[in-house]
Amino acid sequence: MEIRPILSALLRNKTGPILVALQVALSLAILANAVYIVNERRAVIARPSGIADEHSTFYITARNLNSDGPEQRLATFRREADLLRAVPGVASVANVSQMPLSRSGWNTSILLDQRQQRENASASMYLSSDSLVKTFGLRLVEGRDFLPQELVDLDEKTQDRAPDQVILTKALADKLWPGASAIGKAIYFGKSVEGMSSRVVGVVERLQSQNAPIGEKAEWSVIIPARRYGDTAAMYAIRTEPGQRDRVMKEAESVLRKTSSTPMILEMRTVDQDRKTLYRSDVALQWMLVTVSLLMLLITCSGIVGMASLWVTQRRKQIGVRRALGARRLDILRYFILENVMITSAGVFGGAALGLALNQLLVSKLEMARLPAGYLAGGALLFWLIGVIAAYGPAWKAAGISPATATRSV
Amino acid sequence: MLAYYFRLGLRSLRRNPLLTALMVLTLAVGVAASVSTLTILHMMSGDPIPEKSNRLLVPRFDNGPLDGWAPGDEPSDVQMSYPDVANLLKSGQGERRTALFGIAGPLEPPRKDMPAFVADGMAPTRDFFAMFDVPFLHGQPWSEADDARAADVVVLGRAMAEKLFGDADPVGRQLRLMGTPFTVAGVVDHWNPRPRYYKLVGGNTFGDADDFFIPFTTAIRHEADNNGGMSCSSKREPGYAGLLASECTWLQFWFEARSAADRSDLQAWLDNYAGEQRKLGRFQRKVPARLYDVMEWMEELKIVGNDNKLSVWLAFGFLALCLVNTIGLLLAKFSVRASEIGVRRALGASRREIFRQFLIETGVIGLTGGVLGLVLAFGALALIGMQGKEVAAMARMDWQMLAMTFVLSVAAAVLAGLLPTWRACQVTPAIQLKSQ
Repeated sequence: MEIRPILSALLRNKTGPILVALQVALSLAILANAVYIVNERRAVIARPSGIADEHSTFYITARNLNSDGPEQRLATFRREADLLRAVPGVASVANVSQMPLSRSGWNTSILLDQRQQRENASASMYLSSDSLVKTFGLRLVEGRDFLPQELVDLDEKTQDRAPDQVILTKALADKLWPGASAIGKAIYFGKSVEGMSSRVVGVVERLQSQNAPIGEKAEWSVIIPARRYGDTAAMYAIRTEPGQRDRVMKEAESVLRKTSSTPMILEMRTVDQDRKTLYRSDVALQWMLVTVSLLMLLITCSGIVGMASLWVTQRRKQIGVRRALGARRLDILRYFILENVMITSAGVFGGAALGLALNQLLVSKLEMARLPAGYLAGGALLFWLIGVIAAYGPAWKAAGISPATATRSV
Repeated sequence: MLAYYFRLGLRSLRRNPLLTALMVLTLAVGVAASVSTLTILHMMSGDPIPEKSNRLLVPRFDNGPLDGWAPGDEPSDVQMSYPDVANLLKSGQGERRTALFGIAGPLEPPRKDMPAFVADGMAPTRDFFAMFDVPFLHGQPWSEADDARAADVVVLGRAMAEKLFGDADPVGRQLRLMGTPFTVAGVVDHWNPRPRYYKLVGGNTFGDADDFFIPFTTAIRHEADNNGGMSCSSKREPGYAGLLASECTWLQFWFEARSAADRSDLQAWLDNYAGEQRKLGRFQRKVPARLYDVMEWMEELKIVGNDNKLSVWLAFGFLALCLVNTIGLLLAKFSVRASEIGVRRALGASRREIFRQFLIETGVIGLTGGVLGLVLAFGALALIGMQGKEVAAMARMDWQMLAMTFVLSVAAAVLAGLLPTWRACQVTPAIQLKSQ
C-alpha cells in the first residue's frame, strides 16, 4: 500500500507530526487517568448508606437549657420522642447517638479475645434504645432485631456497662469471622470491664459509618441497644412518609419548642444535606476533571485540524501534480487520512505508555488506585476516531484541489 | 528597536485573527487551569505566621499501651492526654505555653429577643493570644490570675461580639455560657487565619473564626465536653474525673521558643520528660518525643489533601498540552511569513534580530493570553468558591499569584515560541527572494 511513501514523507518533515503525536499522547495519558478517577469517585458517592429512604430521613439535635438531673432529663427525652411520634406524617422515630455520613460520632475498638493484644477492628458505634433497624429501614440478613427488654437507658457519667447484645453490619461480621455465621458469637469492646462480652444477635446488610471512608471500613458499624443520657442534648432520627419530610421538619420543630418551658436549641439536618456536604470535594474534583478533559479533547482536535490544514496548504502543488499524474480524489483523501492515522497511532502508543507512567506516579505519590487497562484501550479508540474525523475536513479540501494547479506558476 | 518589535507584535495579532485568537485562547485556558488550582494549593500550604512559624512548636508523645506496638512505629495519636498537658503547662519551658481544646456550648445572649444558640469556641491559656499574634479590638486577654483561679471570663470573637452587643464595647458585660454567667474580658479583632493552623486536629480546618475563648482551667472546672476527636486505647473510668486521669488523648499543645535555637533545649527537656514518664510506667512504648514547628506540623497532618495536589498536577499536564498545541499554531503562523523574513534578512537584518523580533511577538501573545487567562482564572476561582465559604476562602488570588500568572503565561508563550522562532531564523533569504 501507500504506507511506505507516507512514512518517508513524514520522516522528511518531522516537527509537525511529532507535535501532533505529542498532543495525542498527552491528552490520552491525562484523559484516561482523569476519566478513571471520575468513575471511581462516582462509585464512592453512589454507595448506599444503609438508610432505606434517605430522602425521607432527617434528624434533630435538641438541647434543653435547664438544670435538670439525669433522671428528669431522661423523662424529658422520652416525652420529646413521644411528641415527635405523634406528628402526622412521621413513620418512625429513634433516639440515636450519631448519624451515617454526618462526619461526627464515635468509634470503638472490637476484640474477639480479651487477652489478645491488638484490636480486631475499629467500628463506628451507634447507640440507641429504640429500633434503628425500623427507623433507618436496615435490612437484617441474619438473626433478629433487639427485643424490647434488651433496649436500655444508661447514665454514662456513672455507669459503664457493656451491653449484652449487639447487631453488626455484614461487612464487620465478615471481617471478624470470615466465612462463618456471626450469630451467637461474643465480642469485647476495647479493654472494657473484665469478662464483659456482648453477644451478636443480628447482622444487617449495611450501615455506613459517620465518615464513610473509601474502602471496606466504611461499613464497619456496630449497633448497641443502649441510650446514654448523661449529656444535656438528645438526638432523634426521624423517618417520614415519602414526600412529607419538609413539612414534618417544620411541625416537629414547633411542637418541641411549644411544649418546653425552658429555652431550647434545636438543630435539624437531613441525610441528603449530610451526603452533599460529605462528598462536596469529590463532586468538585469530578467537575474539574471533566472540564479539563473536555477542553483537552477540544484542543487536541483543533491541533489536528490546524496541522492537517497547514500541510494541505503547503502541499497544494504536489497534490496538483499527483492529480495530474492520474491520482483520483479518493487517493488523495486516503493519503491524508492514512497519514493522520499513522501520526495518531504513534501518539496513542506513546500516550498509553505515558498514561501508565502518570498512573504509577499517582499511585506512589498520591495514594490513587491503579488504572485498569480498559481505560487506556477506550481512550486509544476515542483518539483514533477523533483523528480520522478531524483529518477528514482538511483531507476533503485536499481532494478537491484541481489537477490544473500543477500547471500554474513555477 | 525592542519597542518597535513590540508594536510589530501587537500589529501581527491582527494579521491572522482566527489563528491568533485560537493561540491566545489555548494559552489562556492552560494558564487559567494551572493558576486557579495552584492558587488553592498556595493558599492552603502557605506559611500562616512567617515571622515566628519556626518558634511555635508542637510536642508529641506516645502514651499508647505496649499492645500492638512494634519498634519503629510512629506515635499512635497526634493529641495529648490531660496528665501530659498539665505537666507541660507547669514545666516553665519555652517563653509561652498553651494547651487547647475545642468546646461547643449553649450561649444565652443578654438580649432577651435573641434565642439561645450553640457557639463554637476554644479553651486555651492566656499565652495563646500573644503566641499567635491575636489582635484585640476591645479589652485584652484575661490575666494570669484568671488562668490560675479558673475565672469565668470570656474573650469574644469580633463577629460574635457584634452579634450579641452590636458596636458597643462589651468589656465587663455578662453573658451565660454553658449555663454559667461569664464576664467579657476582651474582643478579638478580625482574626481568621486559614488554615486554622493553631488547631489543626479535629477542627474545622478551613472554617470561620472562633466565637469565643475561655481559660483552659475554667473549661476543665466546668467539665466542658471536648468538641473534637478523642482516642482512648486503654480503659478509663466513667465521668469527667475519669477522663482527666485517663490516658485518652484529646488535647493539643503549643510551645513558643524564645529563638529558633532554643528548639534543641526544648527537645532535650522533652526527651528527659518522656524518659521520666517511661520510668513511672506511663509511657510504655519506646518512641522518642517529637517536636514540630508550624510548617512541619501542617505537613505531618497532611493539611493539603491529595486531591488538591492531583488537581495541580493534572492542570500542569493540561498546560503542557496547551503549549504543544501553541507550538504547532506558531509554526503555522510563522511559516507563512517566510518571504517577509527573507526580505528583512536581505536588507541586512541579522539572524539575532529576526530571533528577537519573533520572540517578542510570541511574548506579546503570551501577555495577551496572560490577561485573558487571569480573567478566566478569576472566573474559575469564583466557580470553585461556589462550593461553600470554606473553599471560597481558599479560592482567592493574592499578589504573588497575580504576578505568577503573568510570569507563567509569558514564560509558556516564549517557551512555545522558541522552536518556531528558531525555524524562522533558518530561512535562507536567497530562496525566498527568488520565488517571489
